[in-house]
Amino acid sequence: MFRLAQLWRTTTVRLTALFMLIFVIFAVVLLGLISWQTSVQLQRQQTDAIDREAVQFKRLDGDGGFRATIIAVQRLASQPGPGIYYLADPAGQLIVGNVTDLPPEVLAEPGTYSFNYSKPRLFDDPDSEADDPSPQRQGYAMVRSEKLPSGLILVVGRDVVERRGFTAIVLQWFAVGAGGILLFSLVAGVLTAVRVLRRIDTISSTSNKIVSGNLSERVPVTKRNDEFDALATNLNLMLDRIEKLMQGMKEVTDNVAHDLKTPLTRLRNQAESALRDGQGEDTRKQALETTIEESDKLIKTFNALLMIARAEAGTPSGALSEIDLSAVVTDVADLYGPLAEDEGLTIEADIAEGVRINGNRELLGQALVNLIENALKYYEPAEGKAGLIKVGLKRDGNRVRIEVADNGPGIPATDRGRVVERFVRLETSRTEPGSGLGLSLVAAVAQLHKGELRLEDNAPGVRAVIDLPA
Amino acid sequence: MKILLIEDDREAASYLIQALDEAGHITHHANDGETGYAMASSMDYDVLVIDRMLPRRDGLSIIESLRAEDDKTPVLILSALGEVDDRVTGLRAGGDDYLVKPYAFTELLARIEVLARRSSPAEAATSFEVGGLALDRLSRKVERDGEQILLQPREFRLLEYLMKNAGKVVTRTMLLENVWDYHFDPQTNVIDVHMSRLRAKIDKGHANPLLHTIRGAGYMIRD
Repeated sequence: MFRLAQLWRTTTVRLTALFMLIFVIFAVVLLGLISWQTSVQLQRQQTDAIDREAVQFKRLDGDGGFRATIIAVQRLASQPGPGIYYLADPAGQLIVGNVTDLPPEVLAEPGTYSFNYSKPRLFDDPDSEADDPSPQRQGYAMVRSEKLPSGLILVVGRDVVERRGFTAIVLQWFAVGAGGILLFSLVAGVLTAVRVLRRIDTISSTSNKIVSGNLSERVPVTKRNDEFDALATNLNLMLDRIEKLMQGMKEVTDNVAHDLKTPLTRLRNQAESALRDGQGEDTRKQALETTIEESDKLIKTFNALLMIARAEAGTPSGALSEIDLSAVVTDVADLYGPLAEDEGLTIEADIAEGVRINGNRELLGQALVNLIENALKYYEPAEGKAGLIKVGLKRDGNRVRIEVADNGPGIPATDRGRVVERFVRLETSRTEPGSGLGLSLVAAVAQLHKGELRLEDNAPGVRAVIDLPA
Repeated sequence: MKILLIEDDREAASYLIQALDEAGHITHHANDGETGYAMASSMDYDVLVIDRMLPRRDGLSIIESLRAEDDKTPVLILSALGEVDDRVTGLRAGGDDYLVKPYAFTELLARIEVLARRSSPAEAATSFEVGGLALDRLSRKVERDGEQILLQPREFRLLEYLMKNAGKVVTRTMLLENVWDYHFDPQTNVIDVHMSRLRAKIDKGHANPLLHTIRGAGYMIRD
């Protein structure tokens, strides 16, 4: 019972019902039209036939006299069929005919009439029924009565009941056909609805499992490749993304816990030890200085996190404006040139001129700074190898590429995807200062500008490419 | 110097008042926007330090009203909102400088002192001179004791900014903002390297150095 109620609530069943209703209305209208037209046509044919016969009899009577008329009427009247014939003398007495009880006015005045009558049963009447006690058949007649030239009265007509019977047969078959189609559409509708319901049931039961916590559940996809499979595929893609986001979220919270709590603990320890009795003024001062340093680092990490969040969320369009990207890259390369030199590296700039894009100068500058600082940070002085950082800006068709390539230790291919994630720091770099947010910010800035950050192998070293649409 | 501080965080305010007092400035304090606006428009201050988010009336609307009344007192905006567009809105409202919380007191002090100087005509000067070091903004020439010093364009701008604020502490962030026009903190000592190169050019071979490093704060050019 519940299933049935549920079935009624489904769109398919409702649609099937609606279509069925429309079909029935349509069928009834069509039926009415056809039967009406049929009866009109039949009536016209009969009227025409009656008129024709009447005219023929008149002519026959005029040419051949009443004898020829009597013979002709007798012959026609004895034939089976819907024909009604009655020939009477001028006084109204029956001479020949296949009907007996005509209303008196038919004989009294020429014209067209219709009336109920009884027709003597013929021997070979196919409609006769053995157990029918009545020797006569009731009918409804449409007749024309005429006064013939010889003075006889002729009534010619047709049995309308037979015509009606024909119309009834048409209607009957029509109804049978309509009923069949109705039944068929009902069955088809119910079957479709059940099938659709089952597919939807699987989807909703899967989502129920997911809601209750099992994020790795997926909606089954069949090989039919229909709309439901498209929906299931989309749902699965969405679930993949959600699962990934959840994982990322968990990773970030774990990392925040670690990367923010650790310095906070250090901060607290510093303050505590500074408060401890018996400390010299110098030690106390130093402890306070370290405290400030630590909190500055925390603030930086915090700012970087906020900046990434803002860039990832997409800042309001007002934050993007037309900027001279060539100038940004040149400025940052110049800013870091002296520092690199002091650390034994060379910054080589190859910057295309006049590259203007719609962007955020501050964020792009910061992204470039992060890339150059990374290159500086991971540079390892070695014999016979001069540190080189190549900063480039290239325009390639409708793309613009900012490149920072170094010849440092590089990033193993397997880790290149991971280092972009928040707080991810490779084991080898744990000893270096940093928050693990630098590349995440670069990636977020690239994304904000509808571009991407790629880390490529510079053999040796890394080539970071910010690929942006021009 | 007479400073008006409009800040609703009492603890932060009392710390600032004390620290500014130690630096030799007189500070008046208002707890909310309405009082702050009334004080700013009725009294004469050298610098206004206004928090952006205040009870009863927000900081930006105070600045807008003051500017509409043709009050040109330099304003330093303090704010926890530090995005580029926040800064732009702040400066567009009529603020002269924008400092994001949390900040170091030395940074705030340096900015207040530089701001106050703006009301003096140094901004429009075409040349500066500090202890025998002369900079001409029009011919873009730098000389020390009559001897010409060749500077890169960026070094010239660095020196120009320092000399415009001669005798005042200039922080690294201020240099990055005013010379390079970037508002982030470089993680490494980028600015220091530029300063040491500039120092090598202007102080090398001279007995009394002009470019001084102020520990924990920044740089200063003076006799």
